[in-house]
Formats: sequence, C-alpha cells, structure tokens
Amino acid sequence: METNTKALQSLALGWLIPGLGHVSLKKYWRGGIFFGCITAMLILGLFMGGKIYSYQEEGLHLKLIFKNMTENPLTFLATLSDLGYGFIYILSKLFSFGLGNLKNTTFEFGTTYIAGAGLLNYLVALDAFDIALGKKK
Amino acid sequence: MILYAAFVCVVLALIRKDERKAQIKYALSLFVLMVFGAIIFGWFMYLFV
Repeated sequence: METNTKALQSLALGWLIPGLGHVSLKKYWRGGIFFGCITAMLILGLFMGGKIYSYQEEGLHLKLIFKNMTENPLTFLATLSDLGYGFIYILSKLFSFGLGNLKNTTFEFGTTYIAGAGLLNYLVALDAFDIALGKKK
Repeated sequence: MILYAAFVCVVLALIRKDERKAQIKYALSLFVLMVFGAIIFGWFMYLFV
C-alpha cells in the first residue's frame, strides 16, 4: 500500500516538474539531467515563439471534451502533449505566456519543442512511477 | 533539429537503458538515426516539389 502511494506521489511530482519524481526517489543525477533537458527544450521553444495550446471549451463535461476532440483534433492532441509539463502549463494559463507568435519563422519549431518537452515528461514521470514500484532500477 | 534530437536522445537513453555503456551506445545510435533519417526524408520530400 505504501509503495503504491509513493509511486503515485513520484508520478505526480514528475508530471509537475520534470525529474522531481526521480529526485524524490533519490535518483538525483537522473532527475537533474531530465530537468535540464526538458526545461531547456521548453525554454528554447518559448524563445522561438512557440505556442502552449490549451483546452478551448468552457467546462470539462464529456460532451464538451468530445466536441473539442472532433472539431479540433490536432489542437486537442497538442493540448494533451503540452499538458505533459504540468507546472509550466498551469503557469502559462495563469500568467498568459506561451501564446505563440505566428509571425516568427521559428513558430513551428518552437511549438514542436514545447510539445516534445511535454511528451518526454510523460515518459519521465512514468519512469519514476515504475522505479517506485520496483519494476525498474 | 540537431539540438532537439540531442535532448530527446539523452532523455530516451536514460529511460530505456540502465547501464552507462548501453545508455551511451543507445543515445548515439538514436541520434545518428534521427539526424540522418531527417536529412534523407527531407531529400525524399524534395522529389515532390
């Protein structure tokens, strides 16, 4: 029971900030490298004028989520990948940054960097979860 | 693109492999595959311009 709680805690911490789940499991080097790489990708993406996509409907009802998925499937997928970097996603909604600059020639590159950072962070958080469960070293 | 590939390779190597030597080998091979794969795919797309 305690192992499951620890695993869920490291998953949540890892989702919120890259590498924090590993640091909570005393894997300091690995956590540091994850944080450095993923955060660097996100910062580079933001400097390139990339966009952090957000959920566009008002409300989280199943009907609205389905509507968002079918009307804007690519935006919905981009939102899911950007959600991977939890803390920055929340901050970007609170302080309105990462709105994207379409005029920049690097807009697409930046958006890809941000989406890549989020997707990698999902894998990193799941890795921390597996380590906490004892499935991995 | 090269920088992006480098970051992705480092993270994936640390996730997929446990031993240091295997991590370096995996990261390097993935990096070469991503960079040269992108260049080859770029040339392939150029055929349809």
